[in-house]
Order: sequence, then structure tokens, then C-alpha cells
Amino acid sequence: MTCLDSAEEIERGLAGGSVLADRTRRAVLAATAVGLPLLAVSGCKGVGALATPPKPAPDVAVLRSAIAAEEVMIARYDAVIRRSARLARGLRPLRDEHLLHLAQLRSRLIVPLGRANAASASPSVSGRTLHEHEAAGQGSAGHGSAGHGEAGPGAVPAGAAAISFLQAAERAAAADLLRKLAVASPSLAQLMASVAASETTHVAALSAARGAGRL
Amino acid sequence: MTGTTAPAAGAEVSALQAALAAEHAAVYGYGVVGAHLTGAALAAATSDWVAHQVARDSLEAMLRSSGTQPVAAAVAYRIPHPVRNSAGAMSLAVTLEDRVATAYLGLVALPATAIRELGARGVVAAAVRAASWRGKTVAFPGFVAGALSPARR
Repeated sequence: MTCLDSAEEIERGLAGGSVLADRTRRAVLAATAVGLPLLAVSGCKGVGALATPPKPAPDVAVLRSAIAAEEVMIARYDAVIRRSARLARGLRPLRDEHLLHLAQLRSRLIVPLGRANAASASPSVSGRTLHEHEAAGQGSAGHGSAGHGEAGPGAVPAGAAAISFLQAAERAAAADLLRKLAVASPSLAQLMASVAASETTHVAALSAARGAGRL
Repeated sequence: MTGTTAPAAGAEVSALQAALAAEHAAVYGYGVVGAHLTGAALAAATSDWVAHQVARDSLEAMLRSSGTQPVAAAVAYRIPHPVRNSAGAMSLAVTLEDRVATAYLGLVALPATAIRELGARGVVAAAVRAASWRGKTVAFPGFVAGALSPARR
């Protein structure tokens, strides 16, 4: 790989905007995170071998935040699902969509080896408790008792209150994504808008399911 | 907006025109949808029809204010599948909303914050309407079905 190839690859990624530009976005983020040091040691001029690592691209912070928020949301759904078999059937499809959101967001952020256990790059949601998410200040919807330091699933209210809690969390998560659209790359902004739309539909779906007696 | 190069203004106009074209199609399509519905479903279709008319008018005004002639509605549109009953009508409504969501998602890729926000609002609104007609939610409204599916081995 030549220096010119890398520059072109990065340029293509930054000029993206297609909804199908994922691989290119990954290439850009990968280059930002781990590729530039490799360029440095391969002798490309203009990149000092011992230079300070470049600042992460704005997308990295946005992605980490979005990933953490999805992890919190999944932990909340899991807490309610574990507690109530009656609610589980109605909630699993929504939880599963959050798993898809999380997978898609994670696919756009390559974390260098050795940092794989860092907060937002944890390999599984279950590997991190709800309390840990809340303590990290991520995803607190400011509703219910979650976010007030109570450990794990116990922070999620039971019964009908759990549904209201999840609705508030979905609303807050969607609003947070939409607030960050302006600083995201085109491709990531599209994904964030789509995820926010999905989360907004969850609010209505939870209401409809409760109204129909399914929750 | 950071991290991107500024696109030509033509990209913005093109995306707005695409959204407007989708709104035109939705306005037409809901006429077909409503013809096969009654009661609460008809009321919902009427409400959504009006929402698309409002969105259409807003997009037309935006384009005119920037000196662009808005794309006109077609005289008629080819319906993607036969609509003979309420189930078919609801399926058509889902298709219309999915296409509107995709069109607005194009606006989200543009650098201007106001345009992104307009696009995001359009995606959200279409997704909510689509979920209502579909009777269930989807993970990635606006994206072509399967575009973001996990890779299969």
C-alpha cells in the first residue's frame, strides 16, 4: 500500500454519503485509529514516526457515545425481560432491534488491540452491568430510578412502570442521536437518523402493545 | 459540520427534489389507500395524506425560495402491487412511507445542519407512520431492506 493509496482511501471515505458506504467508513475509522502509525513506520514523508497520535475523528466520539447508549438500552430491556415472562414476549423484538443497532454502530468503529475491553467496545452487553453503564454517565434518560446509582436491573421499575420507563428511555435516546447529527459524517448521520427513527417507533409500539393488553 | 467537504448546492437541490417527488407519490398513493379503507383506518390514512400534503407544500416553498422550480407531480403513478382490499391498501401505505423515509434519509447526508434536521424529521415521521401501517417496527427505517443486515456465513 502506498501513501497515495491511503490518502485516496481516506478521501473517498470523507466524501461519502451513500447509505451503503459502510466499508469505506470503516476503512476511514480504521485508518484514523490504527492505520496512521503504520504509515509512519513505513516511511511515508509528512507523518513523523514518533509524532503525537492524531486526534480521533469526530465520528469516533459520536460513535462511542451511540454505542454506549445502545448498550444501556439493551441492558434495560434485558432487565425487564428477565424479570417478567409476561412482558418478555412483547419486548424481545424491540430489544433485538437494539441489538441490530448496536452491531451496526460497532461495525463502524475498529478499536485497536489492547483496547478491546474499553468501555464502549466491550464485546458483549452482558459483560457490563447496567450499573456500570449508569455510573459511566451514559444513557441516563433522567427518568425513573435508573441513573440514581442503584445496581443493575434493580434500577428498572417493575410492571407497567417499566414500560413507561422504557418509553422515556427510547425518547431520550432518539433525541440524543438527533442532537448529534450535525457533527457526524454523512454516512454515520444517516445511520443515526435511522436508529433515532426506529427508537421513536418503539415508543409508539410500546404504547400500542400496552393498549392491546400485550404488555 | 466537520469532517466532510462541502458539496455543490446542486446536491442539496437534488435531494430536496427527491424528497418532494416521494411526497408527490405519497399524496397520490394515499388516495388509492383511502379508497379501500373504512372507519379508523380511513381516518388514519386521511391524516397521513394531509401530512404528506403539508410536507409537499413545505418542500416546494423551500425550493422556490432558493430559486429552483420544484419538480411537479406526475399525472399518475404506477402502483407497485394490486390494491384490492384493506390489506393491500395498508401494504401500499407501508411502501409509500418506506420510500418517503429513504428520500428524506438522503437529506441527512448533506452538510447543512438545517437540511440534516429536516431530513431526520422526515425519516422519523415516515417511520412512525410506516410502523403504524405495518403493525411492527423495523431496525433501520429509510434504509433499503437488507442493506444493513448482518452478514450471513
